Amino acid sequence: MKLWEGQRGRVNFIAAILFLLPNLLGFLCFTAGPVALSLYMSFTNWSLKKSIPLEGIWFRNYIDLFTDSQFWFYLYNTFYFMIGIPFGIAGSLFLANLLVDSMYLKQNRKRVTLGFAILGVGLFTCALLFASGSKDMALILAALYVAGACGVFWGSVTFRTMFYIPSFASGVATIILWTQIFNPYHGMANGIMKGFFDMLGISADYLPMWLVSTKNLLGFLPLPESFNNGGFGLGAREAIMIMGFWMGIGGNNMILYIASISNIPESLYEAADIDGAGSFSKFIHITIPSVAPTTFFIAVMATIGGLQGGFQFAKIMTAGGPAGITTTLAYYIYTAGFEELNFGYASAVSWVMFTLVFTLTLLNWKYGNRRMEA
Amino acid sequence: MKKTWRQSPEWRAAMAALKFFLITFLAGMMFLPFIWMICTAFKSSGEVEGVHFWPKLAQPENFKIVLRMIPDPFTKLFLNLHLWRWIFNSVFIASWVVTLQVITSSLAAYAFSRIDWRGRDKVFLLYLATMMIPAMVLTIPQFQLMVSLGLVNTYKGLIITGAFSAFGTFMLRQFMLGIPMSYNEAAEIDGANHLQIYLDVILPLTKPGLITLAIFTFLGSYRNLMWPLIMVKSAHLRTVPIGLLAFQGEYGTQTELLLAATVICITPLIVMFIILQKKLVRGINLGGGVKE
Repeated sequence: MKLWEGQRGRVNFIAAILFLLPNLLGFLCFTAGPVALSLYMSFTNWSLKKSIPLEGIWFRNYIDLFTDSQFWFYLYNTFYFMIGIPFGIAGSLFLANLLVDSMYLKQNRKRVTLGFAILGVGLFTCALLFASGSKDMALILAALYVAGACGVFWGSVTFRTMFYIPSFASGVATIILWTQIFNPYHGMANGIMKGFFDMLGISADYLPMWLVSTKNLLGFLPLPESFNNGGFGLGAREAIMIMGFWMGIGGNNMILYIASISNIPESLYEAADIDGAGSFSKFIHITIPSVAPTTFFIAVMATIGGLQGGFQFAKIMTAGGPAGITTTLAYYIYTAGFEELNFGYASAVSWVMFTLVFTLTLLNWKYGNRRMEA
Repeated sequence: MKKTWRQSPEWRAAMAALKFFLITFLAGMMFLPFIWMICTAFKSSGEVEGVHFWPKLAQPENFKIVLRMIPDPFTKLFLNLHLWRWIFNSVFIASWVVTLQVITSSLAAYAFSRIDWRGRDKVFLLYLATMMIPAMVLTIPQFQLMVSLGLVNTYKGLIITGAFSAFGTFMLRQFMLGIPMSYNEAAEIDGANHLQIYLDVILPLTKPGLITLAIFTFLGSYRNLMWPLIMVKSAHLRTVPIGLLAFQGEYGTQTELLLAATVICITPLIVMFIILQKKLVRGINLGGGVKE
């Protein structure tokens, strides 16, 4: 095969190679090379410890892995966390649907007056509450009033910003914050739940222990002993899922949905109006089918992300515990590789993960594209 | 046209008001953790155990202790916490990563979108395919490579793996494809070569894309936990996430100090977001709209 045709083709080809060179070098050193090395490592007992001589052990790592009940447990954990994905997607769609209109009041002066009125009345109520001693209520109400007034002044963009901030600020700092929120004794989660429990007359002994509890919502399942199934209730996994919901619901998915919903032709909604459809049936029969391609894209990306996820949460919040119930594949690879320094075994696990992700991507290409064309 | 009670102006106004209150309420719920964080950061260590929000006696000293302006009143020692150093390290590393990545990605994107050469689209697909390789697969051999090159525990090692990105190439290529090819042709007639076209014509036109990529890359690098976690051994190289993690390990029981440090680390991010939000939203739609 000829690489180029004619003088111009040669110039273009050489120029292209030169333009690609920096990126290509990095690609070879930090992507292609490592992938090959990783595959090789997974067939050896490669270790960072100098005392262990390198040996090719063929499929021993993979056999060890698949016969190890721990590995299956961690795989189960990884899938368990993915239960949260549909709820997160539904939440994002719900929020996007609420926020897609600009929500401006018709006249500018009216809006400003209304904003000041809300703010004035609100802050006055808060001051009264504060003076009467219920300072927490006053604080929360004040926050709500400020949010509402901002919404009146600047429309739905304010709210989009507010919902996006948790996802934007997510990282070690927010995860540390949530570790404290889930503290069973002084955290905010149990503080609020205790308020409800007191109202309903339930003893505080039933408050969930969150990050130190092995209870989970699928705890009633008759799983093998090695799966550490701690009984039915709210535990570490649910705590992490709630945090993930908070971080993800207003994030990129919501932005994608807003863009997708605003691309739906207005005429569809007008036709539904003529037929006398309510906003709920419009949402079910027009919005949801119209955003189906976006939903598919988001679902696939979330599943791929979910398979690789859980490292940060396990590292910062739980160290994989209690009793290993929050150890996902990603965290397992980290501990096997960088704590036990067993690079061969860790690489084998990472290739199992890669295979799963790869299969999903292929399915996405096969069925995703067909769906778009239809 | 059927007129139902649902289409009466009163009903619509009531629904709009209800929607507004619902959104306000939800937005307030989203902010509750932040409010709790700020309140708790101002509490005294004895008061943290209480479940109420508002501190009885505000302790701004917590922030002074965290910023090492005054010693911890109990141990009479300064905390082992160097926020400014961490922030400097994070920003330093992220700036280098952004600079290098924007250069390498825009060069590659030019080759993939503005130059006609045989096999271009096939090579590009290969590039794209590498985006689905899980980070965990690459991290182990990359670390082995760093050990062999002696780059563990250096700035160079922290920066170099972030300098190349398939995502950046992909994003900028999409951006450059939107520029009409006639710009290239006109410049060629004027006798410009590819380097001149890249520098004088395409780069200025791709500026919004470059800025978006820079923001995303900066954030990604600033937030990165995994790579610094395994690469950093000594305290002076700690980035913000690593420093906070170490701080949590050391002073995890002193909730009010931990949260005061967290407040200091989160606030700049929130301010940055409010300033940059328009550019970010466009970038998200650009990156995610590909499949549609």
